[in-house]
Amino acid sequence: MSIPTTRELRQHLSLPSTRREFLNRAGTGLGSLGLASLLGQGSQIHAAPGDLSPMTPRPAQFAAKAKHVIHIFLNGGPSHVDTFDPKPSLTKYNGQALPTTNLPTERKTGAALASPFKFAKYGESGIEVSELFQHTARHIDDICVIRSMRAEVPNHEPSLMLMNCGDGRLPRPSFGSWVTYGMGTENQNLPGFIAMCPNGLPITGAQNWRSSFLPGVYQGTYIDTRHKQIEKLIENIRNDQIGSGEQRRQLNLLQELNRRHADQRSSDAALETRIHSFELAYKMQMEATDAFNIEQEPKHVLEAYGNSVQSRQLLIARRLIERGVRFVQLWHGEGQPWDNHDDLEVNHRRLAGECDRAIGALLTDLKERGLLDETLVLWGGEFGRTPVVELPTPGANAGKINGRDHNHHGFTCWLAGGGVKGGYVHGATDEFGFKAVEKPVGVHDLHATMLHLLGFDHEKLTYRYAGRDFRLTDIHGEVVKELLS
Amino acid sequence: MLPPRRRRFDSPQTLIVFCIGTLAVLGGILRAAEPVPAEHLEFFEKQVRPLLVQHCQECHGSKKQEAGLRLDSRRGFLKGTDSGPLIIAGNVDGSRLMQVLGYLPNETQMPPKGKLPAEQIALIRKWVELGAPWPEDPVGNASLEDAAKIHWAFQPIKRPALPAAHSDGRTPVDAFIQSALGAKGLKLSEPADRYTFIRRVTLDLWGIPPTIEDVREYESDASPDATEKLLDRLLASPLYGQRWARHWLDVARYADSKGYVFTAEPRYPYSYTYRDYVVDAFNVDKPFDEFVIEQLAADSVVEANDPRLAAMGFLTVGRRYLNNNHDIIDDRIDVVSRGLLGLTVGCARCHDHKFDPVPTEDYYSLFGIFASSTEPEELPIIGSPKEAAAYAEFQKELAIREKAVTDYEAESLAKVMDELRSRSGDCLLVIARDNQNWLKLPAVFAGKNEPRRQLVDRWKGYLERTAKEEHRVFAPWHQLSKVLPDDFPAHVTKLIDRWKSDEGKTDADKINLLIRNSIMGMPPKSLPELARLYGDTFNQVVGQWDALRKQTPDAKSLPDAAAEELRLVLYGEGSPAVVAMDEARRLVGRDVRDKVTELKRKVDNLKVTSPGAPPRAMVMRDGSPQNSPVLIRGNPGRPGKQVPRQFLQVVAGPDRKPYSKGSGRLELAQSIVDRKNPLTSRVITNRIWQHHFGTGLVPTPSDFGTRGLPPSNPELLDWLSSQLMDGSWSLKRMHRLVLSSAVYRQSSKENAQARAIDPENRLLWRMPRLRIDFEEMRDSILAVSDRLDFSLGGRPFDDVMNSKNTRRTIYAMVNRNDLPGVFRAFDFADVDASAPDRPSTTVPQQALFAMNSPFVIEQARRISAEGQRSATDDAGRLAAIYRKVFAREPSSEEREIGLRYLREALTTPTEKQSPWDRLAQALLLTNEFWFAD
Repeated sequence: MSIPTTRELRQHLSLPSTRREFLNRAGTGLGSLGLASLLGQGSQIHAAPGDLSPMTPRPAQFAAKAKHVIHIFLNGGPSHVDTFDPKPSLTKYNGQALPTTNLPTERKTGAALASPFKFAKYGESGIEVSELFQHTARHIDDICVIRSMRAEVPNHEPSLMLMNCGDGRLPRPSFGSWVTYGMGTENQNLPGFIAMCPNGLPITGAQNWRSSFLPGVYQGTYIDTRHKQIEKLIENIRNDQIGSGEQRRQLNLLQELNRRHADQRSSDAALETRIHSFELAYKMQMEATDAFNIEQEPKHVLEAYGNSVQSRQLLIARRLIERGVRFVQLWHGEGQPWDNHDDLEVNHRRLAGECDRAIGALLTDLKERGLLDETLVLWGGEFGRTPVVELPTPGANAGKINGRDHNHHGFTCWLAGGGVKGGYVHGATDEFGFKAVEKPVGVHDLHATMLHLLGFDHEKLTYRYAGRDFRLTDIHGEVVKELLS
Repeated sequence: MLPPRRRRFDSPQTLIVFCIGTLAVLGGILRAAEPVPAEHLEFFEKQVRPLLVQHCQECHGSKKQEAGLRLDSRRGFLKGTDSGPLIIAGNVDGSRLMQVLGYLPNETQMPPKGKLPAEQIALIRKWVELGAPWPEDPVGNASLEDAAKIHWAFQPIKRPALPAAHSDGRTPVDAFIQSALGAKGLKLSEPADRYTFIRRVTLDLWGIPPTIEDVREYESDASPDATEKLLDRLLASPLYGQRWARHWLDVARYADSKGYVFTAEPRYPYSYTYRDYVVDAFNVDKPFDEFVIEQLAADSVVEANDPRLAAMGFLTVGRRYLNNNHDIIDDRIDVVSRGLLGLTVGCARCHDHKFDPVPTEDYYSLFGIFASSTEPEELPIIGSPKEAAAYAEFQKELAIREKAVTDYEAESLAKVMDELRSRSGDCLLVIARDNQNWLKLPAVFAGKNEPRRQLVDRWKGYLERTAKEEHRVFAPWHQLSKVLPDDFPAHVTKLIDRWKSDEGKTDADKINLLIRNSIMGMPPKSLPELARLYGDTFNQVVGQWDALRKQTPDAKSLPDAAAEELRLVLYGEGSPAVVAMDEARRLVGRDVRDKVTELKRKVDNLKVTSPGAPPRAMVMRDGSPQNSPVLIRGNPGRPGKQVPRQFLQVVAGPDRKPYSKGSGRLELAQSIVDRKNPLTSRVITNRIWQHHFGTGLVPTPSDFGTRGLPPSNPELLDWLSSQLMDGSWSLKRMHRLVLSSAVYRQSSKENAQARAIDPENRLLWRMPRLRIDFEEMRDSILAVSDRLDFSLGGRPFDDVMNSKNTRRTIYAMVNRNDLPGVFRAFDFADVDASAPDRPSTTVPQQALFAMNSPFVIEQARRISAEGQRSATDDAGRLAAIYRKVFAREPSSEEREIGLRYLREALTTPTEKQSPWDRLAQALLLTNEFWFAD
């Protein structure tokens, strides 16, 4: 059972140059048929030379439930004590100094700030969730809440990089690109890794879904869901000069010329692959248009998700997963919307209002379609927020004293589907929610666990680069077994 | 960076062990000259190894190395943890190993699951007494020197003799290749025809295809030196530099932006001067050794303002890693070591290189060189803008924007000093609160909120400096801050009593009168109250001084001696409130820093965008030379021993001398291009080969270490490498050697028999068919539609796929912060680190671009329009388009296919693109256009 070594991958990427060479390689054990077998044993996929693509689907290292990932990223840092980690003691101390010292975070902090939101118990598990995520909470028995997450520093940029790429500073490939590198994708007519963010880019931009030293094909395809027209969503997806019938005729001309050219050259596999890629592209034009067109959904589904741009992209996510896209990342919005240093109550209520309903609908939808078992959903930000109020800092929070600072010492993420243990709370922060104290889970541990759920030993999903075998978790990370069902 | 996990061996005791028995001593004693007796080895295998496997190697083995410790080789025991060895010869009880097995209280206890039974400990004890016998393991125990002795790339380059001439051999390159082919029963393919050859070599050297005129001229040249003349013409054109510079820019991880740098200007204003330098260096055939020296140390070899200073962009155009200096230096070590030497020295940042003879000390030897170099704030001007008026305009605007920065900074400096004075009481209050004796009372500040820590620290530092003397102003503070809260009022009373009784005595406490009076006037009950009292007293003096200066602007002092004494604490030499500009930058608040960043961004923005900004070189200069300590596990918080600035041991040998001139960059460059260095010449030779044939003789072009792949033809590599050095490092000569060979000339036709023997064509029994890369693609499409702008140099242009932009692709903005999707879709080089090669993928996004992008459609339209103009019948028009796109006539079948398409293609109102345009576009999309045979 093996993940491609760099060498194998390069051998693949440079492609055998003839059909004969291809079969030759197949015969010499480099893989009985195509990349699928280069990358993992027991593949049943019969690939024509044209399917020899780095995106060809291939099994993970071992059998596992999760086949897809949806990462709902509440960028800016949602407050855990206002959402999934209730802290009654904060109400007790509201307005007073905590009996313990405030831990250092990005800015100065002061007295305890009680959560303005009501918590209630949900489901058979009776896990408490605040009113902000009441729709999501209906699925709590399918959700595994990790209340003991930890990041490394209280700043957005490194924490975003850590959560997405496994390293706070150095340029490393993103989680989604590692997963598509490891598994390819099931639908060749759509990108394998899609990152959606309405209205523009989050902080640190496209680095969040970069492929870094992995081949560029594994980079996330960015989509600005502000737009509704397909041609604005995916570059070059449509030809505005000719109808599809005439484009087909034009492609037939191209392929006839290509066919003659290839035949004169003993059918070089690289030539064949490129010929094939035009057929894929032609189909992608239809398929992508279809995938992003939520107008095709029945009215009750549209209503269940709601009207915001965040709802729309959550619904698109379901349509993409249905069509076999490997990894979908959904950002709440441009910049860092959840970064509520002030007016937390108003802002968190507004932001949750934009996505809670649709997250609930998505989970319902995935479950009804039997997709939840094979789709791993991750919800969270790059860190949480302090249980204490942020003090006014010139130029930062407009002198209001009603928000929370960044908190990397402890925060909450949750997982659902894909083989996680539902209705389960893992770990805990201290009495006030400042620091993860029980069973702390580092970001590398989260990554290791998610890779495990997808069927990878995180220590073996590696890529040789600059003399070293790199991996998502670098030299860290342990699978948190308690999270697995 | 993560703080290192607490490691079990990190204790003071291990440090002591380290001091007693260093690795060297140990090695000397334990590595006995005589062979280890067989019975000792048997004892080890039967009794000891199983214990190690069972109890130790799970955490200290090949998979995990807790505390940096590996216990699956003898070397692992000798090396020990980060802090020292595990066993000491002749001192069994002093050996760290025995200590941890002993399970002493308050000590590291190993194995963690429980103490081993006494008899097992006795076995291990005996093993240590025997000198830790371990069977030889040729790989695991190979030392640095051994690896350097056996690995091919570290052997000196010796010019090999030419193999016996082959019958159809034309050049030495052919002789070597044919000899290797012959050994496998293979031979070269027949020569390619002239059309194929000129298309291949023009794409190779220029990055665009030849025109029909070029083809006709070459095809009709009957002279014996036709090919030589063609090569001369191609190599002499500046189009060559514009193509081949890009290969080097991949290695140099060239980009026009810095990576994420918070709110500062993300673009480099002058990165383009490095790119232009590289283009020029290739065009003038700058000797490669000079090229290397200039890129590393132009500041020491050329005059100020020499354009060659731009060469140093090689070091400085990397990412800025949130301005973390360790990572910036790491990037520079990486680009130098992988880029120039084919060695992955970066692997030795945290530990000795696991596979190559590069100890972590060597990494920090190079680190010291770059840490001793700085980047000047004001970069040297290396030319003048073309238009004088634009330049004048630029200078005027620049002065305005720069003045805004200096004015604002001067203003904020004054504000900071005012704040330090007017908030002295608040600062003292925080210091009082930090005092261990005083509970953390919620403090009430005179100002709006708590003073910034940096301000408090100024006062804290001042108090620490004055604590040692009987300070006339702060002695009461120093005395009273040592007192416990309960005793405080009594101490104040005692102090006041003493002052009263001291009245008039000569040996009285020499305390400032105003402070004394304040304390006596309202005796403080706590340290915070005392803090406030000091603050109020100081503020009164500030008030007096302000009033006096209003009346008498040139007043030098306050008339009252006691007030003047306090004034000097606030305004005099050594005052915490007198701050230099550099210091003030650290003291200002976030709002001020943000504003400065914003104003500086406006300055940088002008430099990036103004047509009148003069070019500058992104140089480094020598700072104060300093050796770097080894950072244990790469952690800046754990400095180890200092290492001299010097070259890598594996190349320079054990007798290397530390560098002594400045930072050592120039010496480093000289070591790199030293003729005895076995790597540099091989590495660049291999890169040249790689770009002519798609794959290097060494298929891992930036890793010549033991984990890289060996050369397919080592003799040829060495012959070419010696040739390069003997030919005064001329790369154009190297191109000629390769391009005039029969190997390069041969056809790319398939050969089933040869493929059966050498399926990957590593021995080159045919010319590989190569797909054009991103730059070739865009440039070629523009070239065949007669739109390519060949002009040289200058600032990058944005929006690479806008069909209005027609400059060569090498001049497109490379934005590493947000690289446009089209670069990625076409396998552009990784922009974050030195890229040895580019992947070559085929994905539908590339096809979508070709089918649908306005860029391709627009160029097709131009080709079609030109083609239709140039003939009166359809066959003639079709032929004209073929001549443009493929530089050849269509065959009769092709003509038929094309004409049939034109007859069948529909034109309805939805079709904005005419059938002719569609046909021209289809030709641009063909494999024929996208591959070179």
